Amino acid sequence: MTDKMKKVNLDMVADNLSDAVFIVDLNSNIIWLNRKACDFFHLEAEQALNKKITSETKIAKMEALLEEVFTKGEALKCSYEEASVKVKRHDQRYFFKIAINPVFTDKKLSGALVQLTDVTRFHELEKIKTDFVSIVSHEFRTPLTTIIVGVEMLREGMLGDLTPRGKEVLEAIGADCERLNRLIENLMELSRIESGTIYVEAEPTDVVDLVNEAVKPLKIQAEKQGVKIIEDVEPGLPPVAADYNKSVWVLANLIGNAIRYTESGGTITVSAKQSSKQIIFGVTDTGCGIPKEHQDKIFRKYIQVSDPGKKGSGGVGLGLAIAKDIVMAHGGEIWVDSEEGKGTTFTFNYPVYQSKETVKLPDENKGG
Amino acid sequence: MSKKVLLVEDEKNVILGVRTCLDAVGYQVDIVENGEDALNYLERERPDLILLDLLLPKVDGFEVLKHIKGQAETSNIPVIVLTAKAEEKDKKKVLTLGANDYMTKPFKPQELWDKIKHHLPEDF
Repeated sequence: MTDKMKKVNLDMVADNLSDAVFIVDLNSNIIWLNRKACDFFHLEAEQALNKKITSETKIAKMEALLEEVFTKGEALKCSYEEASVKVKRHDQRYFFKIAINPVFTDKKLSGALVQLTDVTRFHELEKIKTDFVSIVSHEFRTPLTTIIVGVEMLREGMLGDLTPRGKEVLEAIGADCERLNRLIENLMELSRIESGTIYVEAEPTDVVDLVNEAVKPLKIQAEKQGVKIIEDVEPGLPPVAADYNKSVWVLANLIGNAIRYTESGGTITVSAKQSSKQIIFGVTDTGCGIPKEHQDKIFRKYIQVSDPGKKGSGGVGLGLAIAKDIVMAHGGEIWVDSEEGKGTTFTFNYPVYQSKETVKLPDENKGG
Repeated sequence: MSKKVLLVEDEKNVILGVRTCLDAVGYQVDIVENGEDALNYLERERPDLILLDLLLPKVDGFEVLKHIKGQAETSNIPVIVLTAKAEEKDKKKVLTLGANDYMTKPFKPQELWDKIKHHLPEDF
């Protein structure tokens, strides 16, 4: 150790950290805190000692997080969203990420070290990104109007004749316009979800209607590709509590994926059945399947597991992330079962309709 | 006599697209490129239908719509709002202001023809 290093003591380190740090005992009373913690929460170190960390910091969710650490005796393991907190000070809003590690004395759990990292800037950047996505996707729509109208008029022969080659090129442009349009729709839906402005209005919805509405526009596309869609809805199902448009979107998205990943001669089965107070929807294909190692990733944003050169590319991996957000906003869950080379089943459940309810997508659902 | 449609739109390329689309089915199309010109136009002309963009220079589409629906002489002219704004709240707002219909960009010619046909049924 050099002479300079010897002059450094732990207080120097603690007081010059950019994080606010507390050590609490098993009753969540503060037994130590650093300078940043005092500064930020306007505390006098002496007076804060032996007081509850929740009351001194006014972060109510701390209690439950500490409880979890004390029960398990291990460091807090939860998602970024669960561990972040909004704090208001001088009319300014700050975001903190909370990390909690258990503290052991003589190998016995004696308390916890609570560390609060200022992530305000990170949150601001997230907001800028969300707004940017929203603005950009809106801006794409106007030029796309000109292109789509032009392509359709040419296709209908209303602007004169085209050579066979010209027609072929036009078909390709038309198909890619559709793709671009889908992509924009997905981006917009995502930015709505991220900004928390999306409302899921759960109304009594007929399951057969829902399935028909989702399947109908995709039947032709599937037939063109030699893929058969089978509807297998249990008769006499009660209505589900669902936002009609968003739920049709979820089903259509799953079926659309299935079509993209299924070869000619394959089948796609769209099923619905009841299991106690839930309706279980399934979309099963006989396609290429999803490798095990990718199955837990596919619901994340911008994840696409297929080899981009292979059949199936045509999205950016937003559909399933959005589908998950929508299903969760309904109080349901979505999951996947798949075997490589045999096929894939996406399953999600919705509650059976009981009374009028409006579910707002909670802030905590952000990201993922 | 062919029906006259007023298109209020500031994007040159969209104007070309919509005009081509309406020419093809025999409508007469008048074009103004901002909200103020739209109000001036309506002082002297009576179109059979108005296609109205929302984000317009000078006077925006919401104001134009309020004006059209607030005047006895123009309140009966069907207005179809064409816009890149796709949020439910925008849709609700224009329908509350009296718009007869709403189309989100991008749209296909067939959708545009169908909407116009719906609001000008005697034409077909």
